[in-house]
Amino acid sequence: MATLQVEHLNKTFPAIERGSGPTTAIDDLTFEIGGNVFVSVVGPSGCGKSTLLNIVSGIETATRGSVTVSQDGRPARLGYVFQEPRLLPWRTVDQNMRYVLDGEDARGRAEEYLRMVGLRDSGDKFPGQLSGGMQQRVGIARAFAVEPDLLLMDEPFSHLDAITARSLREQLQEIWTKAKKTVLFVTHDIAEAVQLSNRVLILAPGGRLYADVPIELPYPRRASDRAVAMAQAELLGRFETMQEEADAADVADVAS
Amino acid sequence: MSSATVAAPSRAPGRAPNRIGRMLRSDGSARLASYVFLLVLWQLISLYEERFPPPAEVFGFLWTEVTGGSHGGIVRGEFWEHFAATLPRFAIGIAISMLLGVLAGVLIGGSKAAEALLKDTLLMLVALPAIIWAFLTQMWLGLGDYAVVITTFLSAFPFVAVNVVQGIQAVPRDLRRMSGAFHIAGYRRLRHLLLPAVAGYLFAGLRFAVIIGWNAVLLGEWFSSSEGVGWRSRYWYDANRYQGFVAWVIAFIAFIVLLDRLVLVRLQRRAFRWRDAQLSDMERRAEEIDVAVAGA
Repeated sequence: MATLQVEHLNKTFPAIERGSGPTTAIDDLTFEIGGNVFVSVVGPSGCGKSTLLNIVSGIETATRGSVTVSQDGRPARLGYVFQEPRLLPWRTVDQNMRYVLDGEDARGRAEEYLRMVGLRDSGDKFPGQLSGGMQQRVGIARAFAVEPDLLLMDEPFSHLDAITARSLREQLQEIWTKAKKTVLFVTHDIAEAVQLSNRVLILAPGGRLYADVPIELPYPRRASDRAVAMAQAELLGRFETMQEEADAADVADVAS
Repeated sequence: MSSATVAAPSRAPGRAPNRIGRMLRSDGSARLASYVFLLVLWQLISLYEERFPPPAEVFGFLWTEVTGGSHGGIVRGEFWEHFAATLPRFAIGIAISMLLGVLAGVLIGGSKAAEALLKDTLLMLVALPAIIWAFLTQMWLGLGDYAVVITTFLSAFPFVAVNVVQGIQAVPRDLRRMSGAFHIAGYRRLRHLLLPAVAGYLFAGLRFAVIIGWNAVLLGEWFSSSEGVGWRSRYWYDANRYQGFVAWVIAFIAFIVLLDRLVLVRLQRRAFRWRDAQLSDMERRAEEIDVAVAGA
């Protein structure tokens, strides 16, 4: 299992327009995750959730602070599920899987993980022949198939219709409990975060860590479970409190 | 199924005007009609203008040339010999254009510095007509294969490069980021991401190269060779045998049209199977909806 250590992370973007100040996306963020856990990061839009993932995956660099992903001392292998499926439209599903896989057992692993997401028979299809939900399942299979030490997921269900998203959430739990991976999952949907994760990190506007909440419920969790619904309601309450505090602070800023 | 048969009669009206309209719209017969029209026009003009050899004379000449018959005196038809001389020059010129065009395109499309340095030069090359290269290579290299091949290459190359540059710059950013996140680089990235994304542009480049290159190889032979399709056209032109000249014009136009239809279009269709698969799926779905609507 990999360990992700984020220490005093800060990310500031330079001013876009003349006259406005630089924007802080992440402000002194510190946390550590490790082991077979599913951790969600939730927060209002613009609080730096995607920036955090980009820094962890190396697409962007931190302004200050550090991010370390390690696996027994060696650099960890990462898997990535994006908001959109991001499949090569000119390659079949099977070829898309093998695009990211190495080694002699690539074919076998591609098949194994396609079976896991219920797409065993779609290997010969092109992405354009599949529905949006099926394409996203291929994206998920692809990320699991590289057998990553840390799996990053960036709002993977936000572009899907509610019914498809609901069934994919259940499938994801099934795959995750089988595959035992460390997952860092970014979403703006608190209900989704509660249903899927062991632990939820709430980011406040401006990118501060507002709360770090463990969710101790057994898997699989259905959206209709009473316990899940109660945990969702409780976290939603904390989230609203946070937003009220932030709004009050804004008003105080303007007044002073 | 029964709903489909209900829908069928309303879609297939048996009235005659529609049948003619449909025939004209069908690809094959429309093309045939345009050829017939051109022939008739040509025949009419040749009746009033004596420097305009009539179709029968031109095709008769072409026949003599193809079958190796006598043109009068000791001169005999030499159709295949000249095509055999031209084709290797053409093929080599196009092959070099494609190879260097792709390399230059990847370089210029992939690097800001290379783009700034070379883009204007490339545009200048695109603007230079083939005849300039035909003159220059004859000046530099005299008669022979080199002048002809290099004229072909210099004329076709910039079109390949320009298209590849556009293709490289059109590779979806999302897919580039995805490949980066999974650490896909080198040959695999080239083969599965870049080349397929560029394929459409590459085919456009190839078709341009073939048409411009064919034009260039003929010009090159006109000035710098003593055999080949271009040279033979000039031979009849210089001999004041206009029907011979026009016969060769017909031959090399026919060659380029056939090459485009029989080879390039098929190649393109093969490369875009993924898009067709998607399309036929959509069409099938649209048809299902049609049937469902008709049934309702």
